[in-house]
Amino acid sequence: MVKFRNAAAAFKALNGLICVYKPACVPIQQIQHTILTNLCRDLNVLPDRPHEKRVEIVGPTNAPMTVKLVPNYADNPLVCGPRYIKEDFRCSWATHLGLFTSGVLLLGINQGTKLTYLINTARLTRAYKIHGQLGKATDTYFWNGKTVEKSTYGHVTREKIDKVVAHMQAAHQKTMFEMSGVHMESQTMFDLAAQGLIRPANNNLPVIYGIKCVYFNSPNITLEIQAINEYDKYLWTIIHDLGVQLKTSAHCTGVQCIRQGKFDLDIALLRKHWQLEYIIDNMDQCRRLMEEHSLILQPKSAILSV
Amino acid sequence: MNTLRTLLYLRSFRVIHRSSYATTKKKIHDDSEEDLPIFQYPLSKSSDKRVYVWGLAETGALGIHLPRSKRGKKSYKNAFSLAWHPIRSSFGERFDVTEIACGYGFTVASIKTNEQHKVFGTGINTDSQIGYHAPRIGHPLEMLLSPAPIYIPYKSLESKIIGLSAGRAHTAVLTDTEGVYTLGNNAYGQCGRKINKNEEYKGSMVAHRISTLGKEVIINVCCGQDHTLFITESGKVYACGWGADGQTGLGNYENQSVPAPVKGDITSEKIVKVASTVDCVLALNDKGELFGWGNSEYGQVPMTTNQQQVNMSYALVNFTKGIGKIKDIAAGGSFCLIVNEQGDVFVWGYGLLGLGPNVQHAAKPKLIPAPLFGRNEFNPECVVDKVACGIGHLAAITNNGDLYMWGRNRHGCLGLGHSKDQNFPLRVAVGAHVLKVVCGVDHTIVLSKPFI
Repeated sequence: MVKFRNAAAAFKALNGLICVYKPACVPIQQIQHTILTNLCRDLNVLPDRPHEKRVEIVGPTNAPMTVKLVPNYADNPLVCGPRYIKEDFRCSWATHLGLFTSGVLLLGINQGTKLTYLINTARLTRAYKIHGQLGKATDTYFWNGKTVEKSTYGHVTREKIDKVVAHMQAAHQKTMFEMSGVHMESQTMFDLAAQGLIRPANNNLPVIYGIKCVYFNSPNITLEIQAINEYDKYLWTIIHDLGVQLKTSAHCTGVQCIRQGKFDLDIALLRKHWQLEYIIDNMDQCRRLMEEHSLILQPKSAILSV
Repeated sequence: MNTLRTLLYLRSFRVIHRSSYATTKKKIHDDSEEDLPIFQYPLSKSSDKRVYVWGLAETGALGIHLPRSKRGKKSYKNAFSLAWHPIRSSFGERFDVTEIACGYGFTVASIKTNEQHKVFGTGINTDSQIGYHAPRIGHPLEMLLSPAPIYIPYKSLESKIIGLSAGRAHTAVLTDTEGVYTLGNNAYGQCGRKINKNEEYKGSMVAHRISTLGKEVIINVCCGQDHTLFITESGKVYACGWGADGQTGLGNYENQSVPAPVKGDITSEKIVKVASTVDCVLALNDKGELFGWGNSEYGQVPMTTNQQQVNMSYALVNFTKGIGKIKDIAAGGSFCLIVNEQGDVFVWGYGLLGLGPNVQHAAKPKLIPAPLFGRNEFNPECVVDKVACGIGHLAAITNNGDLYMWGRNRHGCLGLGHSKDQNFPLRVAVGAHVLKVVCGVDHTIVLSKPFI
C-alpha cells in the first residue's frame, strides 16, 4: 500500500480503471457518488500544499514602498471550501449493472474514462450467477414482483435442468452467427465459425455462450451464465423461461456478476475498502491485468478470446 | 367531462402502476397471493415421443393436412406447400411412434400396438409403396395427405416392427419374428421378388414376405434408391434390386430379384450397419471399420483403378486410417459422412459438404470442425453421436440431443426458416431431445422425446 505525502501527488495518481464490488439494491450512481466523496474526504485529510500568500505593497507612492506577504484568505479552505470536491473527478462505468445486480463493476476515474469506453466497445464476456426459485412466477420475473402463478415443482431434478439448460444454450448458436455481422454464405463466416465462439458486432441482442446449473436444492437453483450484451431483466427472463420449460414456474431471486473479461471477484473492492489507498492499489492491479492481456481492450478478430 | 375523468383516472392509475415497478426494493405484500391456486402442469411419460416434420408438404409426405370445410369445394383455409421450420406432427401425439422412414416424397412410421395396423404411411403412393388405399373401388389414391394405415398380412398380430426403410418407390418393413415385408415398385427387383415386366404397380396390393435369408433371421434393412440391403443375425449382408452402379455388390451390374449375399471383403466380417440413400453403400462392422461399394463417381469408394462403379465390397480401412473406431455412418447422393468414437465428424465426396463455400470436393475424409457442433471452451463435452444423410442434405445429432443440419436446402428441408443452402452445420430449432433423424429428398422427419 502506497502512502502519499501530499494530496496533489495522490490526485495525480488517480487516473485509471478500478474494479469494485457493487452491492445489490444500490444504484451505480450512488456507488459513483460514494467513491468520489470518499476520495475527496481522504485527499482532503492528506497534507495540503502550502497556502498561497497575498503580496501587499504598502506605503506612500512617493517614498520607498514596503512589500509584505500576508495570508490570502481566498485560498484558505475555511473560506473557499475543501481542496478536492466531487466535481474535480470524471467517473464513468464500463457496462451498466442493474439496481438489483451485485458483483464486478468497472469504473473509470479521470483518464480511465477512456478505458471504460474501450471495454464497452470490446464487448468482453461477462459471467453471472443467477439465483432462482421454482414454484412461483411473478409479474416482474423478480422477487419483488407480484405473484401471478404458483405451481408444483416436485418433479424437477438436476438431470432435467441440465438437459433443458444445454438445449437453451445451444439455441443461441444461430444468434451468435447472425450477430457477427458477416454474411452467412461467405467463406469468412465459415472460417470464423470453425474457430469457435464469435463476438457480436453490435450490442443489439444478448448472446449467451454458456449456461450451466451449478447448484440445485429444490426449489432453489443457481445458474452460471456467460454472455455478452445481456442486461438484468434479460437474465431474469432466462429463469422464467427455464421454469416454463421445466413444466413449472420460476422467478429470479438474485443476480451476481462474477467476472467481466479478466476482471473477477478476487480483485473487486468491497464497500469497506472504498478508500484512497485501496483504490489506488486496485488501480495498479487493474493496470497490470490490462498489460498482461493487452488484446482484451482492442480485439483484432471477432473470435471470442475471453 | 367523462373523457376528462377517464384521463384523470388513467393518469392516477399509471402513477400507482409505476410505484409497483421493478425498482421497488421491498416485496409488496399482497394478501391475494395466499389464495392463488397451485397449478400442476401435465408431465410427459418416459415413453412419450414427439415427431417433428419439415420440408415440402405438397406431396403429403409431412402428413400435415388441414381438412377442407364441408361447405363447397373451397381451397384449404391455411394451405401451405412448405414447412420452413420444424412442425410438431399430430400423428406422433396420437400414437406411440417407434420407427420412422422417409422415401422419395413419402413417409412411413410404425407404432407400438398389437393390432393389425402397425405401419402408417403418407405421401406419394404412385407405386403402392404405402399400400392400397382406394375410397372408390378400382380408383386407388396416388397421393395421401394424411397418414393412413398400411395393410400387411402379418402371421401373428403379436409381432413387432423393429425396422423400417424406404427407397425411391418401395418400402421395407422389418418385423421381429416374421422377417421383412416389402411393398411398392419391383421393376429392378428391389422388393426381393421375381421381376415381372408387365406388372402394374399402381393399385397393387402385394406385400412380399422375405422370412429368412440363408436360414438366418434378418435384423436390419436399408433401402437405397432402387435397391434393398438386408443384414442377418450373423452380420451377413444380402442385397437385391438395381445393380447398374454396382450398388448390390454382387460382382456384376445386373438387376437382382432375389436377395443374394454381397461379395468381396465383407463376407468374413460381422456387419452391424449399412447406409445408403442413392447408389453408394457404406457398411460398418462390429470393430468400427468401414466398407463400401456402389457408385464412386465422386470418389465415395475410392479405388486404385479409378473405377467409377464398384460392384463388390471393399474395405476402406486404409482410406479411413487415423480416424479411429467409427461409430455411425451415412451415405448421401454424392458424399459420405461418418462419425468416430471421439464424436468428430468426417466427410468426403462432392457437393455442399459442410466445409465452407470454397470446398466443393474432398477426396480424403475431412474433419468438420467440432466448434460447429457446439464444442467450445464453455461446453467441452459436446460430441456428435449420430449422423444421417439425404440426397443433398446432411444431419448430425449431438449427445445433448441437438440437431445440426447443412447442405442443399431443397424446399426448405433443412428447417432453418429459409430456402438458402447452408455451407456449414447449423442448429435446427427442434424443441425436444432429438433421438433420430431421417432425411428424404425434400423433407426431414425427427423422432424426439420431450425434455420433461
